[in-house]
Amino acid sequence: MTAAPLDRTSGAPTRTPLIALVGNANVGKTTLFNQLSGARQQIGNWPGTTVEVARATWRLSSASGVLPLALVDLPGAASLNPTSPDEQLTRDLLVGTEEDHRPDVVVAVVDASNLARCLYLLAQLREHSQRLVVAMTMQDVAARQGVDVDADALAAAVGAPVVAVDPRQRRSAAVLADTVAELLHAPTPEPRARRVDESDPFAEDDDRFTWVQHAMAAVSVREGAGHDTWTDRIDRYATAPVLGPLIFLAVMWLVFQITTVVAAPLQDALDSFVSGPVSSAASTALGWLGLGGTPVEGFIVDGLIAGVGTLITFVPLMALMFVLLSLLETSGYLARAAVVTDRAMRAIGLPGRAFLPLVVGFGCNVPAISATRVLPDARQRILTSLLVPFTSCSARLTVFVLVGATFFGPNAGNVVFGMYVLSIALVIGIGFLLRSTLWRSMGADTMVIDLPAYHLPLPRQVGIMTWARVWAFLQTAGGIVVVTVAAVWVLSAVPAPGQQGSLADVPVEDSLFAATADAIAPAFEPAGFGDWHATSALIVGFIAKEAVISSWAQTYAAEEPADPTQPGELGEQLRADFAASSGGHTTAAVFAFLTFLLAYVPCVATLAAQRREIGTRWMLASLAISMSTAWALAVAVFQVGRLIS
Amino acid sequence: MCAVTLNQVPVGTTAKLSDTSAHPRRRRLAELGLRPGADVHVMRRTSGGGRVLGIGPSRMAVDRTTLDALLVEPPA
Repeated sequence: MTAAPLDRTSGAPTRTPLIALVGNANVGKTTLFNQLSGARQQIGNWPGTTVEVARATWRLSSASGVLPLALVDLPGAASLNPTSPDEQLTRDLLVGTEEDHRPDVVVAVVDASNLARCLYLLAQLREHSQRLVVAMTMQDVAARQGVDVDADALAAAVGAPVVAVDPRQRRSAAVLADTVAELLHAPTPEPRARRVDESDPFAEDDDRFTWVQHAMAAVSVREGAGHDTWTDRIDRYATAPVLGPLIFLAVMWLVFQITTVVAAPLQDALDSFVSGPVSSAASTALGWLGLGGTPVEGFIVDGLIAGVGTLITFVPLMALMFVLLSLLETSGYLARAAVVTDRAMRAIGLPGRAFLPLVVGFGCNVPAISATRVLPDARQRILTSLLVPFTSCSARLTVFVLVGATFFGPNAGNVVFGMYVLSIALVIGIGFLLRSTLWRSMGADTMVIDLPAYHLPLPRQVGIMTWARVWAFLQTAGGIVVVTVAAVWVLSAVPAPGQQGSLADVPVEDSLFAATADAIAPAFEPAGFGDWHATSALIVGFIAKEAVISSWAQTYAAEEPADPTQPGELGEQLRADFAASSGGHTTAAVFAFLTFLLAYVPCVATLAAQRREIGTRWMLASLAISMSTAWALAVAVFQVGRLIS
Repeated sequence: MCAVTLNQVPVGTTAKLSDTSAHPRRRRLAELGLRPGADVHVMRRTSGGGRVLGIGPSRMAVDRTTLDALLVEPPA
C-alpha cells in the first residue's frame, strides 16, 4: 500500500508546518489532539484507504503573533513494524515518504504509567532524522502506582525535549506549543547512534531494547509500590470467567436500550417537526411566491424537505451512539469487552470487538456501521461493515409483524422469531464465506489485548468527539440520502409514457415509479412475488424499511393500519396478490418475500454510513453482496417451499 | 530440563519467560514487553480460558493459544 503523502499546503502561498501526533494505543493521543485542536477538526478516511485520520488547524500563539499549524492525529501504532493497515499508514506517513513530505515536528505521545512499552516506538523514531518532542501523559496514574518519571533525565536519554501534558490543565498545552514553536526553528537532529551487527537478524531489535532499558533509568519506582491498583480491583470482576460476560451483557443491554428506546422519541419528534411545521412553513412561503400547488412545491416539500427530514432523524441516534462509543473507548471498558467476547466471536471468525456493532445493528444498522470504528484493523472494519446489513434492524421488525399477522395469524410470533434466527445465521454464514474468499490471509489470529488503566471520561472530550463525528456523518451521508428520497418523489410524480395525468398529479399506478416497479417485477417471479405492489414496496424500503407498509397502503389505496398486528383491509389485498403472483403457493411466496426483505440493502442511510466508513467501492460491494444473497435465498425459499407445500 | 508453558504457571505466581519463538506474532509480543527474560505475573483467569498477565505496570489479556506458545524457566 502506498499512501498519498501528507498535504500541508492546500494551495496556501506559504507552507504551513505539519505536526504529527504518534503513539501506542491507549496512551491518550486523541485526548491530546482534542485538547490542542478543540471542536474544529475534520475526521475522515485517508485518501485511498479505509484508515481514519483526524486533522485540524492548531493556532500557536507566540510573541510574534499567531502561527497556524497543520495538526494530524495518526493511527495508534505499537511500533513502525506494522501489523494492520492502520499501523501501515502511520509508518508510511512518518518514514515511508520522501523527506520533504514528512512532518516538520513529530509529537510522540507516551504514557508515564507504562513507559517501557512506549519507548520502543521512540527508539525507532529516533533512528530517523526527525524533529521530535515527547508528550508525556498519565502522570497521575503513574503517581498512584508509585512510579515517578524524571522528565529531564528522560529528555537527555531520548535526545528530545519531554513535556508533561494533562487534558485537565490548559497550561500544559501551552508549554507543548512553545516547545514545538522552538523546534520549528531548530536544525533537524541527527539520528541516534546504533550498534547493529548486520549478520544477526535480531540485532536491530536487541539494540532498541538496550536503548529502551537505558532510557528507563529516568524512571524511579517507589519502594513497596503495589501492583494492585483500583484498575486491577475492577478487572477482578470485569474479566472474570462468569461475572465478566454477565457485566458485558448488562452493558450491551444498556447500549441497545439507549440506541433504540431512548433515541426513538427524539427521532419521532424531529420527524414530526420536519413533516409538520417545517413543511407547512415551506408550503406557505411557496404559496406567497405563487408556487402553491405546483410541481415545484411538491418537489421542495415532498422531495427535498422529506429527504432532509429522513437524514435529520438520524442525528439524535448517531449522536447517542458516538457518545456511547467514546465513553466505552475512553473509559477503557472496550478492551475488557473484547477479552470477554473474544472466544465466542472467534468461533465465528470475528474479533471480540465486532460484537458491539453487530448488537447495535439489531436496533439500527446506521449507527452500527459507525460502531465498527472500535475495531483496530481496517480489514476487520470492512468485514464487519459488510455483515452489519444482515442484522435485522427494528424497522424490519414492523414489516415482519404486519406480514406475519396477515398471513399466519396466531403463528406470527414464531415467524418473526424465525426471521431473527435467520438473521444471525446469515451474519455467521456470510462472514464465513467472505473470510474464506476475500480475506483468507486474515487467518485465525491470536488474542493479545492491552488492558489500559480505567479512566473517568472527560465531558468536554466526549462532546468534541461526538460533535466532530456527527458533523462528518452529515457531510458524507447527507447527499446520498437527500438525493435518493428526492429521486423517488420525482419518479412517482412523473406520469409513465402513454398514461394520463400531469406532472405531480398522477395516480401512483400510472406513474413512472409504478412503471419501474412493473419492469423489475419479472425478476422476482422465480421467488413468487413478481407483482408491482411488492416490488414498489421493496424500492421504497430502500429509503427506509418502515416505509414498506405506507407504500402498500398507497399502492393499494387502502387505509394504513394503525396497529401492524391488525392489517385489516390492506391484509386482504395483500393475501389476494400474493396468492396470484405465487400461483397458489402463498406461504412459500410470503416466506421468500420476508427473506428478501431481511437480506437486501437495509436502507440508503446504511449505504451512506458505509460510504463514510469503508469508502464507495466497499459500499458498492456490500450492495452487490446483499442484493445477490437476498435474491438467491428468496428464490431458493420459494422453489423449495413450492415443492413441499 | 523439560519445557514449561505459561499455561502451566499457577495463577498468582510470577515466572520468567525463556522462549517466545513458537508464537506467530513474537515480534509484536516483544514490543509489548513479552520477550525472553521478562518477568510475567500470571494475575487471573479470563472468561475465554486465557489469562491476564502483568508485565511491569502493564496488564495484558492473552488467549490459550498464546499461553501455550510461551515457554518459561522452570521454577528453581
